[in-house]
Amino acid sequence: MRGKDDGAHVWFDPIGIRVSPGQMVRWTNRDPGNSHTTTSYHPAIFERPLRMPPGARPWNSDYLLPGQSFSVTFDREGVYDYYCVPHEHAGMVGRIVVGMPTPPAPSAEAGSANPVPEVALSAFPPVEEILAKGIVRRA
Amino acid sequence: MKTIPIALTLMLAGSVPAFTQDVTKSPPPGAFKAVSSLVKLPDFLPGMGQLFVDPATLPAGPFLAYDHDGKLVSTVFMLPIKDLSPDKRFDDLAAPGGVVDHVSVYYNAGHPGVEEPHAHVVLWHVSKADEARVAK
Repeated sequence: MRGKDDGAHVWFDPIGIRVSPGQMVRWTNRDPGNSHTTTSYHPAIFERPLRMPPGARPWNSDYLLPGQSFSVTFDREGVYDYYCVPHEHAGMVGRIVVGMPTPPAPSAEAGSANPVPEVALSAFPPVEEILAKGIVRRA
Repeated sequence: MKTIPIALTLMLAGSVPAFTQDVTKSPPPGAFKAVSSLVKLPDFLPGMGQLFVDPATLPAGPFLAYDHDGKLVSTVFMLPIKDLSPDKRFDDLAAPGGVVDHVSVYYNAGHPGVEEPHAHVVLWHVSKADEARVAK
C-alpha cells in the first residue's frame, strides 16, 4: 500500500501477484500520510460483487495506519480481486492469482447493488500477465 | 446625537463574522475535533499537519491544520470532485484562520472521512518556506 505525499496517487504494490495454494499474502501500509484497507469483493462485505472463487473466505482488513499489516492465507485456486475502501474510486485495486486456475478468468457476479466502478475495473492487471510474470507492478 | 453611535454599534455588531473564536493555537475551540479522533488516520499528516474539523461541516470543512508546536499553518477545504458540477455550490465556507499568505489547490485520491476523490483547497497562513513546518 503506497501513496504520494499529497495523496494524489495511491496504489497497491504490486498490483498483481501469483501465489501457490497455501501461501500467505501480507499487506503493509507504507503510505505515511494515509490509511488503507485490503478488502475482497464479496457480497458478505459491503454487498459487493463476488470477484473471488465461490466458497473461498472473504477478507476485510479494516483501516490500516502507516506501518500496520494484515495477512491472508489462500488455499483455494482461483482469481481474487480486492480494493481499498476509501480509494476504490481512485482505482486502488489489486488481483491475486492462486495456482493455475482453469479457466484463467476472474470470478464476477453481475447485478450487485454496489457494482465495481469503471475506474477500478480498468485498473485490474490481466490474469494472463500475472500468470506470465508472477508479479505485476503499476505502470 | 446619541442615537448615531448606538446605530453604528449595532451595524458593527451585525458585521462581525459568526466565527470569532481564536483558532491560532491547537486545539481550536468549539465543535472542532481532531480528525484522528473521528476516523482512523495518522494524527499528524505529512504535508498538512495535525487536522481538526467540526464534523457537522464534512466533507468540505474547514479543516484547521497545525504544526508540531500547535500553531495554525493552514485552513483546508476538501471538495469532492463529483460536486464540482453545474448543480452544486459551496458558499459561505467559514475561514476563521485570519490572514492568508498564499493558496494551494490539488487533487487528493481520498482518505477516511472524505472517501472519494476530492480537491484540497489550502489557505496557507504561513509563508511558502514555512510550509516545511508540516512537511514531516
